[in-house]
Amino acid sequence: MITLENVLFKWHAKQPEPTINITKLDIDQGEHVFLHGPSGCGKSTLLSLLAGVTVPTQGNIQLLGKAINQLSNSKRDRFRADHIGYIFQNFNLLPYLSPIENVTLGCQFSKQRQKNALKNSAAIAAEASRLLTALGLNDALQHQAVAQLSIGQQQRVAAARAFIGSPEIIIADEPTSALDTQNRQAFVKLLFEQANAANSTLIFVSHDETLQTLFTRSISLVELQGGTDATH
Amino acid sequence: MLLIKLATKSLLNRKASALLTLFTIAISVMLLMSIERVRVDAKSSFSNTISGTDLIVGARTGDIQLLLSSVFRIGHANNGVSWKSYQYISEQRGVKWAIPMSLGDSHKGLAVLGTNKDYFEHYRFAKKQPLSFSQGHEFNHLFEVVLGAEVANTLGYQLGDEVVIAHGMGNTSFHNHDDNPFKVVGILKPTGTPVDKTLHIPLAAIDAIHGGHAHQHEAAQADANDHDHDHDHDHDHDQHDDVDLVGTPKQITAFLLGFDSPLYTLQVRRNINQYKDEALLAIMPGVTLRELWEMLSIVEKILLLFSIVVVLISLLGMLTSLLSSLNQRRRELAILRSVGARPWHIFTLISVESLLITGLGCIVGIALFYALMLLGADYLQSHAGISLNIALLSSYELMLLAAIMVAGFIVGLIPATRAYFYSLADGMSIKI
Ligand SMILES: Nc1ncnc2c1ncn2[C@@H]1O[C@H](COP(=O)(O)OP(=O)(O)OP(=O)(O)O)[C@@H](O)[C@H]1O
Ligand SMILES: [Mg+2]
Repeated sequence: MITLENVLFKWHAKQPEPTINITKLDIDQGEHVFLHGPSGCGKSTLLSLLAGVTVPTQGNIQLLGKAINQLSNSKRDRFRADHIGYIFQNFNLLPYLSPIENVTLGCQFSKQRQKNALKNSAAIAAEASRLLTALGLNDALQHQAVAQLSIGQQQRVAAARAFIGSPEIIIADEPTSALDTQNRQAFVKLLFEQANAANSTLIFVSHDETLQTLFTRSISLVELQGGTDATH
Repeated sequence: MLLIKLATKSLLNRKASALLTLFTIAISVMLLMSIERVRVDAKSSFSNTISGTDLIVGARTGDIQLLLSSVFRIGHANNGVSWKSYQYISEQRGVKWAIPMSLGDSHKGLAVLGTNKDYFEHYRFAKKQPLSFSQGHEFNHLFEVVLGAEVANTLGYQLGDEVVIAHGMGNTSFHNHDDNPFKVVGILKPTGTPVDKTLHIPLAAIDAIHGGHAHQHEAAQADANDHDHDHDHDHDHDQHDDVDLVGTPKQITAFLLGFDSPLYTLQVRRNINQYKDEALLAIMPGVTLRELWEMLSIVEKILLLFSIVVVLISLLGMLTSLLSSLNQRRRELAILRSVGARPWHIFTLISVESLLITGLGCIVGIALFYALMLLGADYLQSHAGISLNIALLSSYELMLLAAIMVAGFIVGLIPATRAYFYSLADGMSIKI
């Protein structure tokens, strides 16, 4: 499902040590993976590679059986639009769009995700609304200006955007770092619910080790960088 | 479509700075368009001032000076042409008509022209259009006046009104003779030339008001005029038609000549310029108009340059505001990338924003331009004699707008390119 082989990545050609150096990593369909490591160890960089925004300097990355490092730039962009939902740390939303519009943006660049979304609801906006409701945002909140939402509410909108159109892979880069402990747990549970419903693979980055127990699998990037397939 | 929607919403989200930028562009567009419209119309008003006249003859000065004083009523011709020379030249072979002009008097700051009836018949402006009357007719008696359209308009004169004409230029004159009222017998149609701002009286009446002996009212008698003019004016104006409206003044300011054939022009011109008895100058109005315009064209070019610079500055303002907003929008760009937007989408998004600002700026600018034209047309007409053409945009003006749009687009490429590279370099990490 997700396979990395001998992946090396340098941000700059002159970098002495590669930011990412992974000999082997396999993640199965539907797995919920907790990725952790100290700040600056390259977690976000790895996610950029997985999302196909950047390509490895060396090695292979296979997603859903496709070697995305061999795709052209525009094909990689299309691949991401079709198959990957992404949640950032915070400020995930475009301030000038309503929560609903922010969610529907998730399938604006992908015909396939539009099609998937229409399997669940009659219209894309209706599907956005359904997801937001499932994530605990009521009707009134769905039409509020995003700046008026709390951070926790904003992150749920971001999650709905990642999930709309049922992409196979959900990537979340510290989506809970701005939330309090209780909200973190609740948010992660909501993510699981949605991921299970769509049978999506979830890759979740966090510094908060207390969340680790909720996941089926936990990966330490530092150990992974050592060159072995580090799995707990 | 999506990108246009996003660009619009994003701009609306930054309303204050976007509006400010838009407004700067609008004002600069208005400025450029106005300057260009006034320039083009001034040029055509200018070259339309006189036509159909082959030569203008006056005392020897500069060509342009003679043109200004005789046609535009600007400046003062110090010397005149003696009546004798006028008569001699107007009897030359090939001369079809000669119109004497005596200037230098005024009524409420407007020029008074003493001339003969040929003026109404032969004077041409624009594309050889003759003068025509909106009301009344030409003067038939000594103390009758024909008003230019604007004179009647601004001073509110109507047919039958009595008008006092002073000796000398300016509003207040020491020689303001209340005893020389002229009766309005005709009002000309607007021409968009200095004719509109002129009061036309018979040439002989000029001497009458200068003579200072015309005590009696015209309605009663005009026989007082003949004392120092050694010819008889002892008719009652209301009864006789064969009044001598020209008289024999000592000198006139200038005169216009029309020939049977334009072939005479150069020959007669040479003869006049070499005329022995008096230092005279003959000019061809078309040629001198062009010379004058050329002289003014440096001013015109500077104006054009300034307005282009203003447009460029406004576009640079847009560049600054787009660039400075871009850094704060790297997050927005990364979000768009994360949902599958390609770098060229980002590029297009920013380009569309600059196009929207420039386009709306142009539209608002055109609206402001028309508002300004509507407000300013009367003023320009009455103060500069430029008749503004409040028509649709000319192809030249559309070209200017297109050039502004292209310039706006090119300026917009800078932040768009920058955004493009941001979106490549940032990847999924948001720095701010
Ligand atoms: N866009 C970029 N251009 C150049 N270098 C980068 C870029 N993004 C990250 N880096 C470098 O790559 C290294 C790894 O950064 P990364 O953001 O992946 O760390 P991280 O593990 O996500 O840290 P954190 O937990 O603080 O988010 C850092 O040394 C960083 O300076
Ligand atoms: Mg990070």
